[in-house]
Amino acid sequence: MNASPLQFHPHLTRRDALKGLTLGAGATLLSPFLAGLAAHAAGSPGAIRRRIVIVMQSNGLRPSFITPSGHKWKDDGKGGTSTREVLEVALHDQQLPAALEPLTPFKDRLALIQGLSGRIALSDHSANHGALGCYSANKVLGQTIDSALADALPAVFPHVLLGLDGGSEVMNYAHSALGPNKPLPTITSPDLAFRSLFGSVDGGSSKAQFNRQTHLLDFMADDVKRARTALAPAERPKLDRYVEAFESLHQRQEQIAAMQEVIRKNAPQLGEKRDTTIASLILEAQFEIGTAALIAGLTNVVTLTSGSGGQRFGKYPELGAQDLHGLGHGGSIAGKTNEESFIVIHQLHTRLIAGMARKLAAIPEGNGTMLDHTTILFLSDSGDAHHPQLRNWPMVLLGNLGGRLKTAGRYLEFPGYGHRNHRTIGSLYAALLHAAGKPRAKFGLDDIALKDVKQGAPLAELLA
Amino acid sequence: MPAPSPNRSRRREEADRSACHPPLVRLLTSAAAAFWLIYATLAFSTFASAAPAASPIALDQALRPFLADHCVRCHGPEKQKGEVRLDTLDPSSDSAQNRELLTLVRDQMRDGLMPPKKEKQPDSALALRIVSALTQALPKPQTAEQFASDQLPNKGNLVPHDLLFGQPGGYVTPPAARLWRLNSDSYLGLVSTVSRARTEGLVKPFTLIPERGLKDYAALYSMDEPTTEILLRNAAAIVERQTAHELKDGKPSGKQDTVREFVALMNPATLPTPAQIAAVVKQQFTLAIGRVPGPDELARYQSLYEKIAREGDSPAAVKTVLQAVLLRADAIFRSELGGQPDERGRALLTPAELAAALSLALGNKRLEPFTTAAARGELATKEQIAARLQTVLAHPDQRLDTSRLLGFFQQYFEYHRAPDIFKEARFPFAEQANEWALRRGSWPKGDESKHGSIHHPANLVADTDRLVQRILDEDKDVLRQLLTTDFTFVNLRLKEDKKTRQKNVPVPASEVNDRGIIGPHYVYGFSQWPAEQPVKAPADQPRLGILMQPAWLTAHSTNFENDPVRRGRWIRERLLGQTVPDLPIGVVAQVPDEPHRSFRDRLGVTREAKCWKCHQWMDDLGLPFEQFNHYGVYQKAELVVDADATARNVDKKGQPISKVFTTLPLDTTGEIAHTGDPKLDGPVKDPYELVRRLAASERVRQVFVRHAFRYFMGRNESLADARTLQEADRAYVTSGGSFKALVISLLTSDSFLYRTSPIPSTAQTSSTPIKK
Repeated sequence: MNASPLQFHPHLTRRDALKGLTLGAGATLLSPFLAGLAAHAAGSPGAIRRRIVIVMQSNGLRPSFITPSGHKWKDDGKGGTSTREVLEVALHDQQLPAALEPLTPFKDRLALIQGLSGRIALSDHSANHGALGCYSANKVLGQTIDSALADALPAVFPHVLLGLDGGSEVMNYAHSALGPNKPLPTITSPDLAFRSLFGSVDGGSSKAQFNRQTHLLDFMADDVKRARTALAPAERPKLDRYVEAFESLHQRQEQIAAMQEVIRKNAPQLGEKRDTTIASLILEAQFEIGTAALIAGLTNVVTLTSGSGGQRFGKYPELGAQDLHGLGHGGSIAGKTNEESFIVIHQLHTRLIAGMARKLAAIPEGNGTMLDHTTILFLSDSGDAHHPQLRNWPMVLLGNLGGRLKTAGRYLEFPGYGHRNHRTIGSLYAALLHAAGKPRAKFGLDDIALKDVKQGAPLAELLA
Repeated sequence: MPAPSPNRSRRREEADRSACHPPLVRLLTSAAAAFWLIYATLAFSTFASAAPAASPIALDQALRPFLADHCVRCHGPEKQKGEVRLDTLDPSSDSAQNRELLTLVRDQMRDGLMPPKKEKQPDSALALRIVSALTQALPKPQTAEQFASDQLPNKGNLVPHDLLFGQPGGYVTPPAARLWRLNSDSYLGLVSTVSRARTEGLVKPFTLIPERGLKDYAALYSMDEPTTEILLRNAAAIVERQTAHELKDGKPSGKQDTVREFVALMNPATLPTPAQIAAVVKQQFTLAIGRVPGPDELARYQSLYEKIAREGDSPAAVKTVLQAVLLRADAIFRSELGGQPDERGRALLTPAELAAALSLALGNKRLEPFTTAAARGELATKEQIAARLQTVLAHPDQRLDTSRLLGFFQQYFEYHRAPDIFKEARFPFAEQANEWALRRGSWPKGDESKHGSIHHPANLVADTDRLVQRILDEDKDVLRQLLTTDFTFVNLRLKEDKKTRQKNVPVPASEVNDRGIIGPHYVYGFSQWPAEQPVKAPADQPRLGILMQPAWLTAHSTNFENDPVRRGRWIRERLLGQTVPDLPIGVVAQVPDEPHRSFRDRLGVTREAKCWKCHQWMDDLGLPFEQFNHYGVYQKAELVVDADATARNVDKKGQPISKVFTTLPLDTTGEIAHTGDPKLDGPVKDPYELVRRLAASERVRQVFVRHAFRYFMGRNESLADARTLQEADRAYVTSGGSFKALVISLLTSDSFLYRTSPIPSTAQTSSTPIKK
């Protein structure tokens, strides 16, 4: 069954929804009822869970890095593809390019997607929220695709965002958004992430502490509601959100309490990685936490990012990559070419993706495994290069979301920028939404330079 | 009458953004139109106001003939310029597309962009009424975000300058009661008040908007779930620190920085009495909020304690109650609700609110002089408040945090963003550019001092910070000094003097070790690091003011080049008070990659008609700063790639060896245009003439005052604030350009001290201030 009606209007607060602005006739509007709906949708035995993971890496993903061995893609001179019709190459007798080599065991679940443009999000480096939002860079114009997918696939934690910061912050607001001017925080400290998701089973946390927390959350929701009454109507939304935060944390307490066994069973053993400052280990820890959250059923949508937008690419001194910006300008890791250096960083990410896929494939679910009902999208927030052109935004999909996507080992090259049959990244995002069960006619903003191109409609070639 | 000030904004964004915009049409030729404008504006300028909006003319009746007269010829059946068609517009239709069109029409008319100047202009009173009617017809913003996007700091200039300063300001309608969430700095200030400045292990819960310029506006921030989780965790950590103890002979004994009264209740064997619970709650209230709780509030905390203590762990119950106080809305949000309203519905901020508001205007924590004054009832009149401000500002005391004064200039000038612009750390002197290219950017050993310099953006920022601070300390003619001082600090190194324990003592020259490399002082034009500082820039490499500080220049540049467009935009918005449209969606703003041409030349692509519409507001203001290269080094000629020589510079196999550079004559001319002020408009031959003319301008000074208003009020100005702005300007002028006088005027204005109170103050809980 469909879960929370809040999906229809993600920009409104829950309070607005509770005022009945979005529900049709007949539904009661009590918080526990909504919680029950969500929990039912999330955990009901008959329902198949679907899950989506978006892995977004800083500093660009070159088209050549997703082109299989036996194929050569032709640049139109400006970074776009030269094909006129959709070109497809089966992967079964191809070798994956080096950057994607760790995904070889999952070759038959891959769709490599070349040629979708995203010029609307063009910036000098990262497209920031524009990458997942399919809108102008450097602004938060609307909901990003991961957040929209989270609305479509609700769970106890609607959307988990983890990453490796470009600097040393524990949190950034660089990639995802719930709506216009509502950026979402990405947690970039594994310790903080672990405690947010698995804190209830951390360090022998007793029932008493759990109860105290429940009382506190309850008290605070009430306390802030009282403060609200003294305010003018325009100011109340500020406190509404504070109330709502306490209420939903409170609600989540109860849901987590009911899930203690499965949470304990799946809590990741991070060891030193919990407090590490080594970049690749931080990323590894975040992948482990994200995977565990998926397996435990705490969430169905995870966004994993490296870098924090802008020119904050992060760095991997332990791999010899001190300066990713320098890499983008032709530098290299000692003893390697520039291309090899990029491949090292890409392989770090694809190795972690493969690790996640392996773990999901080991868990039986329905008629198959968890991996069978998952899709992982891999891309860069900087499109096709450090200084992107975005006439071609290379993307990799792993997994067919329970049979709803056609990703059975194919390389797809879409017609070039400006060609009549050209498509944009908005179409891919729309296809994902369609596959997740919440179709929209269109996702993202149009590139006005593309006349006569039908933008934003779901990519038919991907939909099963 | 004064020429209209062109305030412009073109927004082709979703229709559900903004409806409560004051109708701001710039042509006012009749008193009636002026009255209408002010009345309508007041109706919209405070969201809580119950003033009825002026009754709109039937939109349909007025709009159709207007559109037919002025719009349909270019936006109708024959032509649809800009892909806009208006003859089929149905003002009564509710469709999203229709609303989007109406918003577009309203915005274009309000900002004077349509009809185009060369076409017949509509009667200004009629245009005003239509804008007003359209504004009322458009859907109201649904959410706080929609309000917020119109209240972004960079939208403040939309209020016409002439209406704020052109006629004597009248009655100041105070803004609505509001909450203002703490930012990370003031949150840390709160934490340091509550737990004596120990912040390890605490997570910063808040971030500020990423947009350029002023950032901390009350309307822009609230709360979300992950932030609340962080506050919860922080509260627990803070209370742990407050109650840390050991048990000695069965009695809890506090550790460093604990609160004695809290620790006393940590004995698991003794149950506290209700009076003891009440006492610790009061104390936590005092620390976190600056007042004592009322009896109802106390009762609720008592009951929370009892509910939890019933489960057997009294000390844990006490800690939870103490956490709850730290999480209160009035701890995390500054309340500005006001006390008893007077007969006009204006409420002076309560003493506790005043103590917080004044303290947090100047710094990041509640300051003792204000909390004491509040407790003694000595913040009741403007004179008392002014006197208290005078004391705090006149005697800089390291114990009193007044860091927000410098903070204003950092956010206003934005030079502190210099480290965000990545640049190659080492760069050659211009004369060495060819050798540099040949050597691929490495210096020959032993001869480094002849070759180049180092880009140290953090040092540059520190230098400019110091310069601003010095000008603030002297507090004379502050704006003119900021724009035209010929002094600078140069890679000033400071340390703490170990003998006198005085901080920020200059490091003597003998201890400065540049390892033979001409250090960052080269940027300023010095071949030797100047020991006596501040120092005038070398006569052959002059620099005036903040806009020629390397920190400012690099903050407004790109990785490899100057950015005259961004610099021009800064001047247009921050000094001239005008608005530049945002980059239209889908436009790729890139200068052609032709390194053999001068940057000015390459920027010539903006002269194309459709680009020039916006670029005419920016380019000519920023181009004079081509006087400096993108590192901020003074130049007499512009270094470019010699395309022919580079092509010829190949080895035996025909492989390119390196780029060859040459110089082109430098052109530093520019122009101030479109301000409508004859004292400002006109060409300039170099940046020196530019900044001098800006510094001498009354308009520029007043725009500066507007920005100071925004920073200290945490909101944009409205017409209702005209008198506050004028008085602040007067205070600045009559005091000989004292920034402190300006600040005191702002902080004792009605705009700052009063709120329009929609609800009787009986809804307020106790407002008894407490002496800290």
